[in-house]
Amino acid sequence: MRVFKLIGVSMITVLACLLTVDHSQAQNLKEFEKKVTEFTLENGMHFIIIERHDAPVASFYTHVGVGGANEPVGQTGIAHIFEHMAFKGSHYIGTTDWESEKEVIANMDEAYKEWLYAKFNPGTSDEELAEKRAAFEALQDEAKTYVVNNEFSEIVDRNGGTGMNASTSWDYTDYFYSLPSNKAELWFNLEADRFKNPTFREFYVEKEVVREERRMRTESSPIGRLVEEFLAVAYTAHPYGRALVGWNSDITATTIEDAKDFYNTYYVPSNITVAIAGDVKPKDMKKFAEEYFGDIPAGELVPPVTTVEPEQRGERRFTIEGNTQPFMLIGYHAVSDSDPDYEALTLLGNILSAGRTSVLYKRLVEEEQLALQVQAFNGFPQTQFPSLFITFIVPNLGVDADTVEALVYEEFEKAKQGSITQDELDRAITNAKANLIRGLGNNLGLAINFAGTQASKGDWRDLFRSIERLEAVTLDDLQRVANQYLTKQTRTVGMTVKTDS
Amino acid sequence: MRQLSILILLIVFTASAAHAQKRYDEIKYPELNKFDKAKVETFQLDNGISFFVVEDNELPLIRISVTAYGGSILEPADKAGLASITGQVMREGGSQNYPSDELNLLLENKAASMSSFFGFGSAGASMSILAEDLDELLPVFVDFVQNPLFPEEKIELAKTQNKSGISRRNDDQSSIAGREFSKLIYGEETPYTQQTEYATIDNITRDDMIELHKNAFVGNNLMIGVIGDFKTKDIRKKVEAAFSSIPAGQKTNIIYPEVDYEYRSTINLVDKPDVNQSYVVLGHIGGLRSNPDYAALQLMNDILSGGFSGRLAQVVRSDLGLAYAVGGSYSSNRNYPGRFTLTVMTKSETTAQAIDAIIGEVGRMQDEPVTSDELMDAKDRFLNALIFRYDTKGKILNEQINIAYNGSDPNEFDKFVEDVKAVTVEDIQRVAQKYLQPDAMQILVVGNKEEIGDQLDKYGNINEMDVTIPTPEVETDNTTGDAEVGSAMLSSMANAIVSEGTNVKTLNVKGSQTLVTPQGNFNLGTDITINYEELSLKGIINSPQGEITITIQDGNGTQALGGQEYPMPPAQVKQQTDAIQSSYMYIALNAETMSAEYLGDEEIDGAAYALVRVNAETPFTLVLNKDSFLPIEKRSSVFNPQTGGQVEVIEKFSNWTAVSGVTYAYSEMTLQDGQKASENTVSEHSVVE
Repeated sequence: MRVFKLIGVSMITVLACLLTVDHSQAQNLKEFEKKVTEFTLENGMHFIIIERHDAPVASFYTHVGVGGANEPVGQTGIAHIFEHMAFKGSHYIGTTDWESEKEVIANMDEAYKEWLYAKFNPGTSDEELAEKRAAFEALQDEAKTYVVNNEFSEIVDRNGGTGMNASTSWDYTDYFYSLPSNKAELWFNLEADRFKNPTFREFYVEKEVVREERRMRTESSPIGRLVEEFLAVAYTAHPYGRALVGWNSDITATTIEDAKDFYNTYYVPSNITVAIAGDVKPKDMKKFAEEYFGDIPAGELVPPVTTVEPEQRGERRFTIEGNTQPFMLIGYHAVSDSDPDYEALTLLGNILSAGRTSVLYKRLVEEEQLALQVQAFNGFPQTQFPSLFITFIVPNLGVDADTVEALVYEEFEKAKQGSITQDELDRAITNAKANLIRGLGNNLGLAINFAGTQASKGDWRDLFRSIERLEAVTLDDLQRVANQYLTKQTRTVGMTVKTDS
Repeated sequence: MRQLSILILLIVFTASAAHAQKRYDEIKYPELNKFDKAKVETFQLDNGISFFVVEDNELPLIRISVTAYGGSILEPADKAGLASITGQVMREGGSQNYPSDELNLLLENKAASMSSFFGFGSAGASMSILAEDLDELLPVFVDFVQNPLFPEEKIELAKTQNKSGISRRNDDQSSIAGREFSKLIYGEETPYTQQTEYATIDNITRDDMIELHKNAFVGNNLMIGVIGDFKTKDIRKKVEAAFSSIPAGQKTNIIYPEVDYEYRSTINLVDKPDVNQSYVVLGHIGGLRSNPDYAALQLMNDILSGGFSGRLAQVVRSDLGLAYAVGGSYSSNRNYPGRFTLTVMTKSETTAQAIDAIIGEVGRMQDEPVTSDELMDAKDRFLNALIFRYDTKGKILNEQINIAYNGSDPNEFDKFVEDVKAVTVEDIQRVAQKYLQPDAMQILVVGNKEEIGDQLDKYGNINEMDVTIPTPEVETDNTTGDAEVGSAMLSSMANAIVSEGTNVKTLNVKGSQTLVTPQGNFNLGTDITINYEELSLKGIINSPQGEITITIQDGNGTQALGGQEYPMPPAQVKQQTDAIQSSYMYIALNAETMSAEYLGDEEIDGAAYALVRVNAETPFTLVLNKDSFLPIEKRSSVFNPQTGGQVEVIEKFSNWTAVSGVTYAYSEMTLQDGQKASENTVSEHSVVE
């Protein structure tokens, strides 16, 4: 079943790094530069083409620099709703008659707004409200008569497209699939069409689909419930604290007009990066890019996220009750991925908990057998803005979460005293590098990594430069960042508590 | 002239659409670039191992994976979990030359990984390394495959972890649904549904693991795939030398028991009060890969429920907005029948609506032929994506190994492609009619019973499935005592507690309780009324959080706090009614109907006390004062779901006080495994008329 996934507990820990142990970064970068062609259209849209001629296939990846962090107050979840809308077709795909359908959709949105405003007006009588709802529903039914169901994805599927998906996260939204490489033009055609001609077709039915997604990921899932609450407690001002899938009432309140405004503001060419990896010719790709995307107006600059999380003045703790075995999350306010301490914190997390030789695994999982799983890592929920250094604890049967918690703090204290050895640091760096190699062995992995780095750092080459930053981390750095960031004052601790028996 | 006018029209059209891009269906595609499928070199060692080797020089990596016949299908029912734990400890425990800690350090220093597993019908091990480390790590891998240590401490660790896993298995709807639906299809006690329990884990020994491993990892039972950055000629020499030490042994013959399925229509519910979405699975038995209708069934399934383009996604998701996740499959296994399942996750209130929509679509597959466009699209989806079956060398290698493992015809897939092309609209309707039974579907709903309400009633008598995690069987004390003396002593106790002629049905007890917890002591005020005949209870508890009212009546329970009332989970209700039935007051009122045995005397502080075992559902032993026949202790062994183990519980009674014919212990202390857990002090008790 194809799903449009949210990167909820985002483990995008592509810590950059590639390179074999005996190659220098410079050499690897050189190797890649031979395969990579990039160009920017006049309107600002950037393309990266990575040639890989092993098999006649290619992956197409669109990275848009917008996500949950950009959502206006009262409209949480709108980035995600728009992502769903991008699969609804265009002015001729997915419709029997766009000119007529367009009118009905506009009227439907007006009717919805009338109902919505009435709903929140205490003076509205039940009858009035029901009437307005009925008026909206009648228009929704009328709009439906023009719909050709799922035509967009059907076109991709029957042309041999595979792995079609999209995801919304706090920092960005992405859309991707793979095609036999002779069908590259189809991707340009469909992608340009859906982003040039959004229709907001079936908007209100799709919101119910999103609500089911919310029930599945958050409301009916013990970990989902904990994570949503955790971020809301840890962040008081910055949008990382908001529900990515949207608070239920915000999902209700969002209208097509809101979604259009959001789209017009953020889906501008300078905010979009495309990477294509596979058996394609850069010259052809450039020609298609100009033909299909060249006529999009440049648009305004995208407004930055200006809210900064205020200083935390003391530990925050909370519990949520449920009929499940316990989980615990511990998070400390830390830094964004452009901060010089980012790499040291990342390595600290890996040394503490990645792999069987890591500090927390050895003690808590293996020796004292208190935890089924302990995972510490940097960069939660995402990394463009200052994020959390987080620890996720799954206690073993019969062990209280707070027993494990106390021992985790003990190990953090040791790290602050300088207990980490050079061997441990070297090992963490080696593994971080090797992880990337493994991520660059396929078309989609290449496209994701290159487009993502280009969009966030302005240059895909930073993927390789970040290795240098990892290698420059010293034991002193580890001790310093442990002392600076792992403090009780900036800590949030949340756990589930079993209410049954 | 005619041609000209068309041309003019075209020009006009193009001019007016200067800014609109061309339609997708006007694109002319070039031919697909030709490419050579990677060649897999195969060879066999004297010990029977078959090798499959592919060069892939893109990245400096090598991966070696071993596949063996074996798996949980071979494990005895009372040792369910053996195969999976063996796979786990094989890796966690390390090998003769590279015990756990050394192995972990060596691998992580080199950014390498090794893993092992025992699945359902296959087992295996694999290694992923940087190419430059091959010479150093190949012998390590062979030792890991051939000589695992299975140290006791790692076995214990794996058992603890698996028990933790069992305790969490009802937390997630999808795992409950998958597990329980399989039981509906294959039956409770089959290798296809065998379930690991606390008790089956306790039964597993180190010898079992050694035996399982020894039978699986022998030459005649192994296939090894090698892929990565090397020259085939060189790697061949290296792996031949490295793996030649593995003994030849025997190929394991796996027998898949027949499945005897009877089509039936059922409605089943697992209540999960903490969710607001129903996880619904419906369907019946599926088929075998060898069925000549396989291709038609696959296309039929794709039209019905394949991904976004399938009818279910169109109707249930896009049209009705009833679900985010909806889909299904008609699965066909090689060795035993698969399952036909349709799955949807929808809010509690629309559970039946979603079920009806799905069953309706199944019926429509039978009643109407699909359109020729639908069939053509389904074929295109499959045929145009065929290239992705071979777009990496790893996929080509895996396919070769699968063919060898299954002993299937190497041309099987090519034949399947031809079969797909030949399927007609009539075939689709024919297989839908022949293999689908919309009137004999089994429906399983994992959801919130209260929110769902009576929606499921129309599907028949609801079978509420009990997914309570079974506690391990207690080693019962099998010594038999004197039943006659035991019964006599029990009735003496009854007379001591309830004096003759006193008619007690309901008793009220007021007092206080101190709970000893790791977070400190909690003091509670208690006012509890128990009806011993109806097994009902009303308790008012004054806690630091406020007054809590507990009510148990007719097998249901509620708790109220601060004006809010919550249902009590059934497990907790049962715990309370069990507690009532094993109380001395209940025994005293029902002594005549209870079976008891006198086990002899025990000396405590210089005095002799009588030990009487009461053979209740969970037996316990009373320690009676031989003069007064009042109990000074009750000893029992109970299962603690929090720890997955037994706890020895001792309740000590003293300060017996008689009021209107009922003698009650005004002091009671409970010890769990020797640790004080709680203390009760009673201030008054009275018989409620």
